[in-house]
Amino acid sequence: MAANLQHTPQEVIGQERIFGDDLALAAAILARDRKATARLVELHSDAVHRYVWRRLTPRLEMVDDIVQEVFLAAWGGLKNYSGAAPLHSWLLSIARHKVEDHYRRTLGAHADVLDVDGEIEIPAPSADPVLGLDAKRHAKRAAEILARLPYEYAIALRWRYWEDRSAKEMAEASGRTEKAIERLLARARARFKALWEEPA
Amino acid sequence: MMDETFSNVAMQHILREAEAATDAPAGASSRLKSRIFSQLIELEQQQGPLRVLSAIRAAGEKLCIFETAVAALPSDDLQSRNACAVCHARILGERVERAPIFWPGCPYATFCGH
Repeated sequence: MAANLQHTPQEVIGQERIFGDDLALAAAILARDRKATARLVELHSDAVHRYVWRRLTPRLEMVDDIVQEVFLAAWGGLKNYSGAAPLHSWLLSIARHKVEDHYRRTLGAHADVLDVDGEIEIPAPSADPVLGLDAKRHAKRAAEILARLPYEYAIALRWRYWEDRSAKEMAEASGRTEKAIERLLARARARFKALWEEPA
Repeated sequence: MMDETFSNVAMQHILREAEAATDAPAGASSRLKSRIFSQLIELEQQQGPLRVLSAIRAAGEKLCIFETAVAALPSDDLQSRNACAVCHARILGERVERAPIFWPGCPYATFCGH
Protein backbone atom coordinates (compact mmCIF):
# COMPACT_ATOMS: atom_id res chain seq x y z
CA MET A 1 0.00 0.00 0.00
CA ALA A 2 1.49 3.34 -1.06
CA ALA A 3 -0.50 5.42 1.40
CA ASN A 4 0.65 5.35 4.99
CA LEU A 5 0.73 7.58 8.04
CA GLN A 6 4.47 7.97 8.42
CA HIS A 7 5.13 11.28 6.67
CA THR A 8 4.84 14.86 7.81
CA PRO A 9 3.49 17.60 5.52
CA GLN A 10 5.62 18.09 2.41
CA GLU A 11 8.55 16.11 3.76
CA VAL A 12 11.40 15.80 1.30
CA ILE A 13 12.70 12.27 0.96
CA GLY A 14 15.70 12.11 -1.34
CA GLN A 15 14.66 14.30 -4.25
CA GLU A 16 10.98 13.57 -3.84
CA ARG A 17 8.59 15.82 -1.98
CA ILE A 18 5.94 13.89 -0.08
CA PHE A 19 2.61 15.50 0.71
CA GLY A 20 2.23 13.95 4.14
CA ASP A 21 -1.16 15.37 5.10
CA ASP A 22 -2.66 14.13 1.86
CA LEU A 23 -0.99 10.77 2.27
CA ALA A 24 -2.37 10.48 5.81
CA LEU A 25 -5.83 11.35 4.55
CA ALA A 26 -5.56 8.68 1.87
CA ALA A 27 -4.41 6.13 4.43
CA ALA A 28 -7.33 6.94 6.71
CA ILE A 29 -9.78 6.52 3.85
CA LEU A 30 -8.20 3.18 2.97
CA ALA A 31 -8.76 2.23 6.61
CA ARG A 32 -12.45 2.98 5.94
CA ASP A 33 -12.54 5.98 8.24
CA ARG A 34 -15.82 7.73 7.44
CA LYS A 35 -14.68 11.12 8.73
CA ALA A 36 -11.64 11.05 6.45
CA THR A 37 -13.89 10.17 3.53
CA ALA A 38 -16.12 13.14 4.36
CA ARG A 39 -13.04 15.35 4.51
CA LEU A 40 -11.93 14.23 1.05
CA VAL A 41 -15.31 15.22 -0.37
CA GLU A 42 -15.49 18.48 1.54
CA LEU A 43 -11.94 19.56 0.69
CA HIS A 44 -11.85 18.68 -2.97
CA SER A 45 -15.30 18.46 -4.52
CA ASP A 46 -15.59 22.20 -5.18
CA ALA A 47 -12.40 22.36 -7.23
CA VAL A 48 -13.22 19.20 -9.16
CA HIS A 49 -16.71 20.51 -9.83
CA ARG A 50 -15.41 23.84 -11.14
CA TYR A 51 -12.88 22.06 -13.34
CA VAL A 52 -15.52 19.83 -14.91
CA TRP A 53 -18.12 22.61 -15.14
CA ARG A 54 -15.80 24.87 -17.16
CA ARG A 55 -15.04 22.09 -19.60
CA LEU A 56 -18.62 21.08 -20.21
CA THR A 57 -20.42 24.41 -20.19
CA PRO A 58 -23.02 25.11 -21.54
CA ARG A 59 -24.11 21.46 -21.52
CA LEU A 60 -24.16 20.98 -17.78
CA GLU A 61 -26.46 18.03 -17.32
CA MET A 62 -23.47 15.68 -17.19
CA VAL A 63 -21.37 17.67 -14.73
CA ASP A 64 -22.61 16.08 -11.50
CA ASP A 65 -22.32 12.57 -12.95
CA ILE A 66 -18.74 13.19 -14.06
CA VAL A 67 -17.75 14.70 -10.71
CA GLN A 68 -19.22 11.64 -9.02
CA GLU A 69 -17.27 9.39 -11.40
CA VAL A 70 -14.08 11.24 -10.51
CA PHE A 71 -14.50 10.51 -6.80
CA LEU A 72 -15.44 6.88 -7.39
CA ALA A 73 -12.39 6.43 -9.60
CA ALA A 74 -10.21 8.21 -7.05
CA TRP A 75 -11.48 6.00 -4.27
CA GLY A 76 -10.80 2.92 -6.41
CA GLY A 77 -7.25 4.08 -7.15
CA LEU A 78 -6.37 5.53 -3.77
CA LYS A 79 -4.07 2.64 -2.88
CA ASN A 80 -1.84 3.82 -5.72
CA TYR A 81 -1.62 7.38 -4.45
CA SER A 82 1.99 7.92 -3.44
CA GLY A 83 1.87 11.45 -2.05
CA ALA A 84 4.32 12.63 -4.72
CA ALA A 85 1.75 15.21 -5.84
CA PRO A 86 -0.93 16.98 -3.81
CA LEU A 87 -4.20 15.09 -3.63
CA HIS A 88 -5.78 18.12 -5.27
CA SER A 89 -3.64 17.71 -8.40
CA TRP A 90 -4.11 13.95 -8.38
CA LEU A 91 -7.89 14.37 -8.34
CA LEU A 92 -7.78 16.95 -11.12
CA SER A 93 -5.74 14.58 -13.27
CA ILE A 94 -8.49 11.99 -12.81
CA ALA A 95 -11.04 14.68 -13.65
CA ARG A 96 -9.10 15.46 -16.80
CA HIS A 97 -9.33 11.81 -17.90
CA LYS A 98 -13.04 11.74 -17.18
CA VAL A 99 -13.62 14.94 -19.14
CA GLU A 100 -11.61 13.54 -22.04
CA ASP A 101 -13.72 10.38 -21.91
CA HIS A 102 -16.75 12.61 -22.30
CA TYR A 103 -15.16 14.49 -25.20
CA ARG A 104 -14.24 11.20 -26.83
CA ARG A 105 -17.79 9.85 -26.50
CA THR A 106 -19.32 13.09 -27.72
CA LEU A 107 -17.12 13.56 -30.75
CA GLY A 108 -17.12 9.84 -31.51
CA ALA A 109 -20.91 9.83 -31.55
CA HIS A 110 -21.30 12.81 -33.88
CA ALA A 111 -19.91 11.60 -37.15
CA ASP A 112 -22.31 13.92 -38.98
CA VAL A 113 -20.56 16.95 -37.51
CA LEU A 114 -17.13 15.57 -38.24
CA ASP A 115 -17.40 13.91 -41.59
CA VAL A 116 -18.77 16.64 -43.84
CA ASP A 117 -16.60 16.85 -46.93
CA GLY A 118 -16.09 19.89 -49.09
CA GLU A 119 -14.42 23.22 -48.98
CA ILE A 120 -14.55 25.03 -45.70
CA GLU A 121 -15.75 28.58 -46.06
CA ILE A 122 -13.69 30.68 -43.75
CA PRO A 123 -13.67 34.46 -43.72
CA ALA A 124 -10.42 36.15 -44.64
CA PRO A 125 -8.33 37.16 -41.67
CA SER A 126 -8.79 40.73 -40.59
CA ALA A 127 -6.82 42.74 -38.11
CA ASP A 128 -5.23 40.90 -35.23
CA PRO A 129 -8.21 40.19 -32.98
CA VAL A 130 -6.12 40.33 -29.87
CA LEU A 131 -4.89 43.89 -30.35
CA GLY A 132 -6.96 46.57 -28.73
CA LEU A 133 -8.40 44.42 -25.98
CA ASP A 134 -6.84 43.96 -22.62
CA ALA A 135 -6.10 40.40 -21.61
CA LYS A 136 -8.87 40.10 -19.06
CA ARG A 137 -11.54 41.38 -21.42
CA HIS A 138 -10.55 39.16 -24.27
CA ALA A 139 -10.33 36.13 -21.99
CA LYS A 140 -13.86 36.84 -20.81
CA ARG A 141 -15.07 37.32 -24.35
CA ALA A 142 -13.40 34.09 -25.48
CA ALA A 143 -15.12 32.22 -22.65
CA GLU A 144 -18.48 33.66 -23.66
CA ILE A 145 -17.96 32.71 -27.29
CA LEU A 146 -16.98 29.17 -26.34
CA ALA A 147 -20.25 28.90 -24.44
CA ARG A 148 -22.18 30.07 -27.53
CA LEU A 149 -20.54 27.73 -30.02
CA PRO A 150 -22.17 24.44 -31.00
CA TYR A 151 -21.13 22.04 -28.27
CA GLU A 152 -19.01 19.82 -30.50
CA TYR A 153 -17.05 22.86 -31.67
CA ALA A 154 -16.52 24.10 -28.12
CA ILE A 155 -15.24 20.81 -26.83
CA ALA A 156 -13.02 20.33 -29.87
CA LEU A 157 -11.38 23.70 -29.14
CA ARG A 158 -11.09 23.00 -25.43
CA TRP A 159 -9.65 19.57 -26.05
CA ARG A 160 -7.15 20.97 -28.54
CA TYR A 161 -6.13 24.14 -26.71
CA TRP A 162 -6.87 23.63 -23.03
CA GLU A 163 -5.80 20.02 -22.81
CA ASP A 164 -3.10 20.56 -25.41
CA ARG A 165 -3.99 17.52 -27.47
CA SER A 166 -3.01 17.26 -31.11
CA ALA A 167 -5.56 16.53 -33.84
CA LYS A 168 -3.94 13.12 -34.18
CA GLU A 169 -4.40 12.32 -30.50
CA MET A 170 -8.00 13.53 -30.61
CA ALA A 171 -8.64 11.40 -33.68
CA GLU A 172 -7.20 8.29 -32.08
CA ALA A 173 -9.20 8.84 -28.90
CA SER A 174 -12.52 9.53 -30.59
CA GLY A 175 -12.22 6.91 -33.32
CA ARG A 176 -12.41 9.50 -36.11
CA THR A 177 -9.88 10.20 -38.83
CA GLU A 178 -7.27 12.87 -38.28
CA LYS A 179 -8.59 14.68 -41.34
CA ALA A 180 -12.09 14.74 -39.88
CA ILE A 181 -10.78 16.22 -36.64
CA GLU A 182 -8.77 18.83 -38.53
CA ARG A 183 -11.89 19.78 -40.48
CA LEU A 184 -13.86 20.01 -37.27
CA LEU A 185 -11.20 22.22 -35.70
CA ALA A 186 -11.08 24.42 -38.78
CA ARG A 187 -14.86 24.89 -38.68
CA ALA A 188 -14.78 25.52 -34.96
CA ARG A 189 -12.04 28.14 -35.35
CA ALA A 190 -13.92 29.77 -38.21
CA ARG A 191 -17.13 29.97 -36.19
CA PHE A 192 -15.20 31.25 -33.20
CA LYS A 193 -13.53 33.90 -35.33
CA ALA A 194 -16.83 35.00 -36.87
CA LEU A 195 -18.34 35.46 -33.42
CA TRP A 196 -15.19 37.17 -32.21
CA GLU A 197 -15.44 39.72 -35.00
CA GLU A 198 -19.06 40.52 -34.24
CA PRO A 199 -19.45 43.83 -32.42
CA ALA A 200 -19.39 43.16 -28.69
CA MET B 1 -8.00 29.43 -46.48
CA MET B 2 -7.66 30.99 -43.08
CA ASP B 3 -4.24 32.24 -42.26
CA GLU B 4 -2.56 29.43 -40.36
CA THR B 5 -0.88 31.88 -37.99
CA PHE B 6 -4.25 33.11 -36.83
CA SER B 7 -5.67 29.60 -36.77
CA ASN B 8 -3.30 28.20 -34.23
CA VAL B 9 -1.11 30.81 -32.62
CA ALA B 10 -3.80 33.45 -32.15
CA MET B 11 -6.38 30.87 -31.12
CA GLN B 12 -3.99 29.50 -28.54
CA HIS B 13 -3.34 33.01 -27.29
CA ILE B 14 -7.03 33.91 -27.16
CA LEU B 15 -8.11 30.71 -25.44
CA ARG B 16 -5.23 30.46 -23.01
CA GLU B 17 -6.87 32.65 -20.40
CA ALA B 18 -10.44 31.76 -21.26
CA GLU B 19 -10.57 28.86 -18.84
CA ALA B 20 -10.12 31.04 -15.77
CA ALA B 21 -12.50 33.60 -17.22
CA THR B 22 -15.27 31.03 -17.66
CA ASP B 23 -17.90 31.69 -15.06
CA ALA B 24 -18.44 28.70 -12.82
CA PRO B 25 -20.33 28.25 -9.59
CA ALA B 26 -18.27 28.48 -6.42
CA GLY B 27 -18.47 24.76 -5.92
CA ALA B 28 -20.42 21.56 -5.93
CA SER B 29 -23.93 21.54 -4.55
CA SER B 30 -24.43 20.18 -1.05
CA ARG B 31 -26.68 17.47 -2.54
CA LEU B 32 -23.89 16.31 -4.84
CA LYS B 33 -21.38 16.23 -1.99
CA SER B 34 -23.85 14.26 0.11
CA ARG B 35 -24.50 11.75 -2.66
CA ILE B 36 -20.80 11.26 -3.33
CA PHE B 37 -20.09 10.73 0.37
CA SER B 38 -22.95 8.24 0.76
CA GLN B 39 -21.78 6.32 -2.26
CA LEU B 40 -18.18 6.17 -1.07
CA ILE B 41 -19.23 4.94 2.37
CA GLU B 42 -21.39 2.29 0.73
CA LEU B 43 -18.38 1.12 -1.27
CA GLU B 44 -16.21 1.10 1.83
CA GLN B 45 -18.77 -1.02 3.61
CA GLN B 46 -18.74 -3.50 0.76
CA GLN B 47 -15.00 -3.90 1.32
CA GLY B 48 -15.27 -4.53 5.03
CA PRO B 49 -16.33 -3.02 8.34
CA LEU B 50 -15.90 0.73 8.74
CA ARG B 51 -13.39 2.02 11.25
CA VAL B 52 -14.97 1.79 14.70
CA LEU B 53 -16.35 5.06 16.01
CA SER B 54 -14.49 4.97 19.32
CA ALA B 55 -11.18 4.76 17.43
CA ILE B 56 -12.21 7.68 15.24
CA ARG B 57 -13.08 9.72 18.30
CA ALA B 58 -9.82 8.74 19.99
CA ALA B 59 -8.00 10.08 16.92
CA GLY B 60 -9.53 13.48 17.64
CA GLU B 61 -12.45 13.49 15.23
CA LYS B 62 -15.78 14.92 16.23
CA LEU B 63 -18.74 12.53 16.19
CA CYS B 64 -22.35 13.55 15.73
CA ILE B 65 -24.84 12.98 18.54
CA PHE B 66 -25.99 9.63 17.14
CA GLU B 67 -22.47 8.39 16.50
CA THR B 68 -21.55 9.42 20.04
CA ALA B 69 -24.34 7.23 21.35
CA VAL B 70 -23.24 4.29 19.19
CA ALA B 71 -19.60 4.81 20.18
CA ALA B 72 -20.59 4.16 23.78
CA LEU B 73 -21.67 0.64 22.89
CA PRO B 74 -19.17 -2.12 23.67
CA SER B 75 -19.71 -3.85 20.31
CA ASP B 76 -17.18 -3.18 17.54
CA ASP B 77 -19.64 -4.72 15.14
CA LEU B 78 -22.22 -2.02 15.87
CA GLN B 79 -19.62 0.71 15.94
CA SER B 80 -18.33 -0.23 12.52
CA ARG B 81 -21.72 0.04 10.86
CA ASN B 82 -22.79 3.10 8.95
CA ALA B 83 -25.08 4.99 11.31
CA CYS B 84 -25.78 7.53 8.57
CA ALA B 85 -27.63 4.86 6.58
CA VAL B 86 -30.61 5.15 8.92
CA CYS B 87 -30.32 8.88 9.66
CA HIS B 88 -32.72 11.53 8.39
CA ALA B 89 -29.77 13.89 7.90
CA ARG B 90 -28.48 11.71 5.05
CA ILE B 91 -31.86 11.65 3.33
CA LEU B 92 -32.26 15.40 3.69
CA GLY B 93 -28.68 16.08 2.64
CA GLU B 94 -28.99 14.04 -0.54
CA ARG B 95 -32.30 15.59 -1.56
CA VAL B 96 -32.47 19.16 -0.30
CA GLU B 97 -29.93 21.82 -1.20
CA ARG B 98 -28.42 23.34 1.94
CA ALA B 99 -30.80 21.29 4.03
CA PRO B 100 -31.48 22.52 7.57
CA ILE B 101 -29.19 20.02 9.29
CA PHE B 102 -27.40 21.45 12.28
CA TRP B 103 -25.92 18.44 14.12
CA PRO B 104 -22.33 19.20 15.06
CA GLY B 105 -20.04 16.49 13.72
CA CYS B 106 -22.50 15.43 11.01
CA PRO B 107 -20.83 15.28 7.57
CA TYR B 108 -24.08 16.16 5.81
CA ALA B 109 -24.37 19.32 7.94
CA THR B 110 -20.82 20.20 6.91
CA PHE B 111 -21.67 19.74 3.23
CA CYS B 112 -24.63 22.08 3.76
CA GLY B 113 -22.29 24.69 5.16
CA HIS B 114 -23.64 24.54 8.70
